[in-house]
Amino acid sequence: MSNQVYPKDKEILPGLQIEKVDDRIMTLNVGPQHPGSGHMRIIIKVDGDYIVHTDPDPGYVHRGEEKMAEYRNYITNIPHLERPVIHDSCNILYPYCLGVEELLGLEVPERAKYLRVIAAELNRCVYIEYWLAIYGIFLGHSTMFMWPVGDRELLIDLLDKMTGARVTHAYFVPGGVRNDVPPNFEDVCLRQVNYFEKRLKEYADVFYDNPILISRTKDTGVLSREDAIKLGTTGSVLRASGVDFDIRKKEPYDVYEELDFQTSVLKEGDSYARSKIPWLDMFESCKIIRNALKKMPKSGSVRVKLKPKPKGEDTEVYRRVESGRGALGMHIVSRGTPQPYRLKISVPSFRNLIAMPHLLTGEKLGNMPAVYWSLNYWPVEADR
Amino acid sequence: MGTASGIIKALNSGVKHIATKRFTFRYPEQKLKFVGDGYQYDPDSGVGIAGYKGRHILFHDKCTGCQLCSIACEDIAEAIAMPKVEEEWKHNKKAIMPQIDYGKCVFCGLCVDACPFYALYMTNDYELSSFTKEGLIYTPAQLQVKPKVDQDVEIQIDEKGAKHG
Ligand code: SF4
Ligand code: SF4
Repeated sequence: MSNQVYPKDKEILPGLQIEKVDDRIMTLNVGPQHPGSGHMRIIIKVDGDYIVHTDPDPGYVHRGEEKMAEYRNYITNIPHLERPVIHDSCNILYPYCLGVEELLGLEVPERAKYLRVIAAELNRCVYIEYWLAIYGIFLGHSTMFMWPVGDRELLIDLLDKMTGARVTHAYFVPGGVRNDVPPNFEDVCLRQVNYFEKRLKEYADVFYDNPILISRTKDTGVLSREDAIKLGTTGSVLRASGVDFDIRKKEPYDVYEELDFQTSVLKEGDSYARSKIPWLDMFESCKIIRNALKKMPKSGSVRVKLKPKPKGEDTEVYRRVESGRGALGMHIVSRGTPQPYRLKISVPSFRNLIAMPHLLTGEKLGNMPAVYWSLNYWPVEADR
Repeated sequence: MGTASGIIKALNSGVKHIATKRFTFRYPEQKLKFVGDGYQYDPDSGVGIAGYKGRHILFHDKCTGCQLCSIACEDIAEAIAMPKVEEEWKHNKKAIMPQIDYGKCVFCGLCVDACPFYALYMTNDYELSSFTKEGLIYTPAQLQVKPKVDQDVEIQIDEKGAKHG
């Protein structure tokens, strides 16, 4: 037995420390070839069936998005900045557009603000459905893989009608959105979102009330309220631990202030709560979409005309939004050139990854997938 | 909830779904319908027109060879080259027109936003696979062709559920 505290001691937050390995301890590499690890490796030390040390090793899909942004102007940055999370591409462009608008002093038309909220909420659901599908298959529940992937199609179809692409939309631009929605989009959107919500309720029967799921996820990987705050987690992980923090409520951007929705919060902090929060979020998203469709001005401009290579002032801005995974911020430093001088992306995935060693240590190896994917973590986004 | 009742509930839900219509559709025989004829852009108002961002279409009678599309793509994918064309046009003295490499293009449509002469739009055609890399390079002549689309499947929703039809 090594010096590792075992079973789990709540007082100690293990980081990436090196420790003595003796005869009992075996090192396991989970990944990086996606056997349920995403594009990353988790180095796990096990004592029999129990995990005694976890060392997440991200970085396999690093693309240098931040450096690349320094060589492109504010408009041509759009297509590559959405690549880290193609399933949530509207939400990753959102803070960028808000930031650049502040830099350039643009006033976004009212209708564009509503269209952005609708696109962002549709995209959030698309992301969560995809995440849920993988969570289902991680736990060997193949119905929960098929259903979300199928129902996701309803929303992808809407986004396709709206933006012209199924996943990488490139829809948000500084100063509004690229194009207005086609005629009778409102009716189609309402019909499909209502049906989608009806389908979501059925997930409870096969998944969330399923005793097999509950037995695998209840009381595994418990993150207390204090630890969740101390470790700096965000989004669904934070809200599953009983902290009511949602950027859409706390620092409302665009028209979120005027829309009617609640944030979903659970107290338990275990894998079950973490897997349930995104599902509850989707109901709220449906509510937001319906509300926004009702309140949206029926006509009007959707985009401010820009000069070909707009220049920002000599200043810096930081804007953040609530993405499908949590708070996603962009810090843009401008030096009066058409390109950003520096662009820092603060991603929620990386911040939730920090909780992983804390949660996995002391767990059974078999519970690893249930805990790991409940962190709502997207490896490509964490690496940027 | 008790274990037994939970399992029965899950099974029940599965049984209910045996009778519902299949949501998927048979892709190569049936194709999904998109709105409009593809993404377009109006340089006067500075706003796009909703449509699918597929393969481009180039109108030779409008393109002036100004290269703005190619400059726009330089920072994005470097997919647009400007080769010489055989035809002679009064409005295109240099006789150059865009040629697009679909091995590089990311279908963002920002080149369409850059064209000030209504010469470059996008279409509903997304079936561009080729056995060779050269086959992915579309010359101005190929880009001129209007694609044949036979897309007619749409999502239909009724009380029994959703299906493509
Ligand atoms: S769609 Fe985007 S990537 Fe493709 S040619 Fe146009 S600008 Fe380049
Ligand atoms: S397609 Fe448009 S932007 Fe490109 S060269 Fe022709 S006129 Fe210029």
